[in-house]
Amino acid sequence: MLRSAPFRHAAFAGGLFCVLLLAGRGHGIAGAEGTIRGLVDLRRTQVTAEARTASAAMGMPAHRPAELRPAVVYFDTAPRGAFELDESARATMDQLDETFVPHVLAITVGTTVDFPNRDLTFHNVFSLSKTKSFDLGRYSRGRSKSVRFERPGVVQVFCDIHSHMNAYILVFAHRYFAVTDPSGGYAITRVPPGSYTLAVWHEGEVRERRTVSLPDAGGTVEAGFVIR
Amino acid sequence: MRRCVPRLTVVAVAVVLGSPGLGGIAQAQHWPDAPVAFAGGRVLLAGDASATFGSEDPGWFTYTDYETDSLRRVRAGVTIEARPSRWLSFLAEIRAETRAGVVPYAWYVRVSPLENGVLDIQAGRIPPVFGTYARRNYPQDNPLIGDPLGYQYLTSARPDAVPANADQLLKMRGHGWLVQYPVGSSVAEPGVPMIAAGRWDTGVEVRAGKPGLEGALAYTVGTLSYPLVRDDNHGKQLAGRIVWRPVPAFAIGASAAQGAFISHDVLTARSDIPDGRYDQRAFGLDGEASWGRWLLRGELVANSWQLPPLDQPRITGPLGAVSGYLEAKVRMGPRFYAAARGDQLRFSTIQGTTGAQTWDANVARVEFGVGYRIRRGLLVKASMMNNWRDGGKVRQSRLAAIQALFWF
Repeated sequence: MLRSAPFRHAAFAGGLFCVLLLAGRGHGIAGAEGTIRGLVDLRRTQVTAEARTASAAMGMPAHRPAELRPAVVYFDTAPRGAFELDESARATMDQLDETFVPHVLAITVGTTVDFPNRDLTFHNVFSLSKTKSFDLGRYSRGRSKSVRFERPGVVQVFCDIHSHMNAYILVFAHRYFAVTDPSGGYAITRVPPGSYTLAVWHEGEVRERRTVSLPDAGGTVEAGFVIR
Repeated sequence: MRRCVPRLTVVAVAVVLGSPGLGGIAQAQHWPDAPVAFAGGRVLLAGDASATFGSEDPGWFTYTDYETDSLRRVRAGVTIEARPSRWLSFLAEIRAETRAGVVPYAWYVRVSPLENGVLDIQAGRIPPVFGTYARRNYPQDNPLIGDPLGYQYLTSARPDAVPANADQLLKMRGHGWLVQYPVGSSVAEPGVPMIAAGRWDTGVEVRAGKPGLEGALAYTVGTLSYPLVRDDNHGKQLAGRIVWRPVPAFAIGASAAQGAFISHDVLTARSDIPDGRYDQRAFGLDGEASWGRWLLRGELVANSWQLPPLDQPRITGPLGAVSGYLEAKVRMGPRFYAAARGDQLRFSTIQGTTGAQTWDANVARVEFGVGYRIRRGLLVKASMMNNWRDGGKVRQSRLAAIQALFWF
């Protein structure tokens, strides 16, 4: 499975910067708020997170079934007034069965993420991402450490002990994003009328962009995507 | 001994920088940092490549055989695992290494018959059950560049050639890199390390238990210091290991092994070689402790080789060797770490014509190093080591090395 390259992370952060620039321009907030929702079809993108196969292993590693990993749908350009964020927000990324849960966490700038260890073994959460580089060291079951994310961008998270553990944290400078549910559904609510570019991010890459318009009367606009 | 540094450097750079290009990945600007899975995870492909360049080692402290210096080599490996079912897998590792060419390093079948995974059986060219270091002989598992003496340093013991008396053995003190004896093979060859980390043995291994307490037993054709694909003496080795991990932060293990060491060609070289067992025996203790950013590891191995007693002055008792190391690693952020290892290898005393001496020259090593992680699967290391030996032409050697390695 190929993962994000630094230039894609930079592009993502750049996109979020553009959001800030565009926020004060074309998008008004005079009409009724509405919802943009839809289905992201991920059926052909199952991922198997296997431990690094090593001939030195003394026994059979646990088989990990293929899984569907969520996508994130977000606005490339956000409406004015989208940047009043809750700086005290908290989120959690568990370490359970040698897996980060959830695999994708989408948060706003200023959010503090807790990383509790719920496994019997040690974990060592770290990231080398430019958006936020950190190393929490080794800690055991029942303990938790936290990191505050102060810049928008993509943060890829790893465990130094378990090579198959990885996850993504997407840090947004606005609140117009949604992580897909297990069936691929998403909904971005309280959207002011206007025309927006929707981006679909999946496993380190922006897979598709599309312009979607919400009428002045508000309501619900459907926007579906197929990721192959 | 040939030193082709420019060629080695070019190959090193090509391997490390070119590794991501496997399968056209580099063209797409992607670096794999996890094994590549096919067929829904039933076939896995993992790989690693490393290039090491160090200062010249005139004392042969860091050689793994006559031509291979562990501080000057390029290595690449590919591991393929096929898992046709939950309880069965086939695994092969192929390595290419400077001067060694391309060799099948490991190939075995693994059966896990019980649903809860408390029992595994592995048959073929299998990982050693003794100690810990031989199973972490991948560049990314070793925080430094050098290996522990017990797993790398070439002693003057050979399975295919033996001295006829104690004086001939003492004459080879500190000469493990090229040893010649009159009984058996007359060709000058390197001696063996206590435990060969660079080559695996062939046989069957059974592992049982849970991560908190597990044990393994292996029956193989070679010995710890001389692993084989085909038996050379009609003798087998039995090796066992037990590991207790009372808490995630601490593990302690004990290992033992005994196997026929001397090859059949030696035992038939002279008619006066007495019947008996000419075994390698070893007992080892190992421990690992970790907390926060610290990781501590240590091993102690007591080993002996029994040689046939032939001419006066006779080598009567087993040739003993004890090695031990203590290793510490501390992470200083997501990218940097520092590590150090202190290491000793000491030999037992035998009686020669001119008096009592250790049968090989005692050796000590201290190594310090740092590592910088460029990305998840790309690491650069630098280290300095001091070696001391109380025999041979070169008694002390200070060496420096850098290593770049990539794995997925």
